[in-house]
Amino acid sequence: MNVIELNQLTKRYGQSRGIEDITFSVKEGEIFGFIGPNGAGKSTTLRTLLSIIYPTSGSATIFGKDVVKHGPEIKKQIGYLPSEVFYYDKMKVKDLLKYSASFYKKDCKKRIRELAERMDLDLNKRIDDLSYGNRKKVGIVQGLLHEPKLIILDEPTGGLDPLMQQTFFELLKEENQKGATILFSSHILSEVQKMCDRVAIIKEGKLITVEKISTLQERNHKKIRIETRVPVDAGLFALDGVTKIESEAGNRISFLYSGDINLIMRRLAEIQLANLWVDEPDLEEIFLHYYEKEDVQDEHVPARA
Amino acid sequence: MNMFLHELRENRRSMMIWTISLAAVTVLFFSMYPSIEKDGDQFIKVLQNYPEGVLKALGVQINSITSLLGFYSYFFLYIMLCGAIQAMNLGTGILSKEVSGKTAEFLLTKPVTRGRIITSKMVAVLVILLITNLVFVVVSYIMANTVAANDFDTSAFFLISAANFFVQLMFAALGFFVSALFPRIRSVLPVSLGTVFAFFIISMFGSAISDEASRYITPFKYFDLPYIMKHTAYEPLFMGLGAAVIVIAVGAGSFLFMKKDIHAA
Repeated sequence: MNVIELNQLTKRYGQSRGIEDITFSVKEGEIFGFIGPNGAGKSTTLRTLLSIIYPTSGSATIFGKDVVKHGPEIKKQIGYLPSEVFYYDKMKVKDLLKYSASFYKKDCKKRIRELAERMDLDLNKRIDDLSYGNRKKVGIVQGLLHEPKLIILDEPTGGLDPLMQQTFFELLKEENQKGATILFSSHILSEVQKMCDRVAIIKEGKLITVEKISTLQERNHKKIRIETRVPVDAGLFALDGVTKIESEAGNRISFLYSGDINLIMRRLAEIQLANLWVDEPDLEEIFLHYYEKEDVQDEHVPARA
Repeated sequence: MNMFLHELRENRRSMMIWTISLAAVTVLFFSMYPSIEKDGDQFIKVLQNYPEGVLKALGVQINSITSLLGFYSYFFLYIMLCGAIQAMNLGTGILSKEVSGKTAEFLLTKPVTRGRIITSKMVAVLVILLITNLVFVVVSYIMANTVAANDFDTSAFFLISAANFFVQLMFAALGFFVSALFPRIRSVLPVSLGTVFAFFIISMFGSAISDEASRYITPFKYFDLPYIMKHTAYEPLFMGLGAAVIVIAVGAGSFLFMKKDIHAA
């Protein structure tokens, strides 16, 4: 069963770009990533799903109901974490969460306490005394306190330290195991890779593809840069899976690699290295790569699964 | 109910300040009344030196200023001015506080309709205005009875007092409409001060030159205090017009808000 269905969803803001013709769906129980560079239209899509803004054309359904017509009803079962968290500054965290809970016909007291404890959040502080990261935590508790069936997260990890991110991801995994569907936007690929079953990739307001993470991972790229003591021939790295070799003065070489990591490490071990960097490529590079491979037969998951 | 209570909580401070201020103003003016009443003739003589236009603009009716109700309706003009600012702040704040504080997203992702959000907030504004007026009227009534040398017409007194509430309703509705039209107003005060003073000046100017047309333009003139004093009644025409202003402003504002994309982040 599909929890979310977008059908040629389009949102234009006058002249400026919004989203164009987005169609995909998210199945029940899935952790679905929504990935793209800043300004690609991720937030616009999520905000349209929540009918904070209204679509220009096309439609979307959540739990089989139209998001515009049945918004309030749908939202009973949605937990939302915005990318930037803003609350009534003068309220205490406790009161804000109580207020938030009062919108759902449920007793959330215990749950608030549990979540706050796990996220290490001080309930007695005033909102305007909180740091960015702590505000984010309030947002997380606020989004999860009513045990929603669908959790929508817009760039959820910004401001959280790595340890907190870990806890947060564990929380999400637990919710998922309890049956919650999760839709999760991000511009950080590794984050999405860790969590998601499938991802939709969006760029400049258009959906590029919907992929299984496993497929993306097969194409996982490493960006490798080396510095050598003596100049070496860049041709040494002309292995399968190496692209975009660049050499600077013969002793600073960089390239993208996808394939068995051991092969490339063996090759690197043959050289006298002065330094080595292995990075995840940024999204832009992934996209480039995606375009390059476009004509190759791949295991594509159709946009409408 | 939760949104309504939240709104009251958010506004309780400003409500207290406004209520206390209005009560303080009425106490202050009424405590001056005995000396004016005592030296009435001299006071009138002083006033007669002023040009008629100025007196009219300031809302001074020479033939009645030394009576309790006359004096009340004189300074009541300034009570209405304050009240209008309070009401317009509240009305504008209904939407613009949520949008400029970027908390609109919080509300809009809750399982409530936009209509529900508006009504809860409006009822809260209504209650705040009622409380403010109630305190004001009670304090004024006690003061009036304390300083009055002779009996005064209680019905007229209450009709005058209630005029503030109705003028406030108009300004609250106006403020709501403005904030639905321009939800991104960052600070409410300059907008409401500007609007209220504009109408107040039109009203003063209209009084000074005895211009009938200005009565239709500015809410301050919908409740003509000398008329209320004389007839112990409101003017039906302006009652109807006032109600129409409120209904139209609230209706149009709500319509805009229901249809609008909210950009809170």
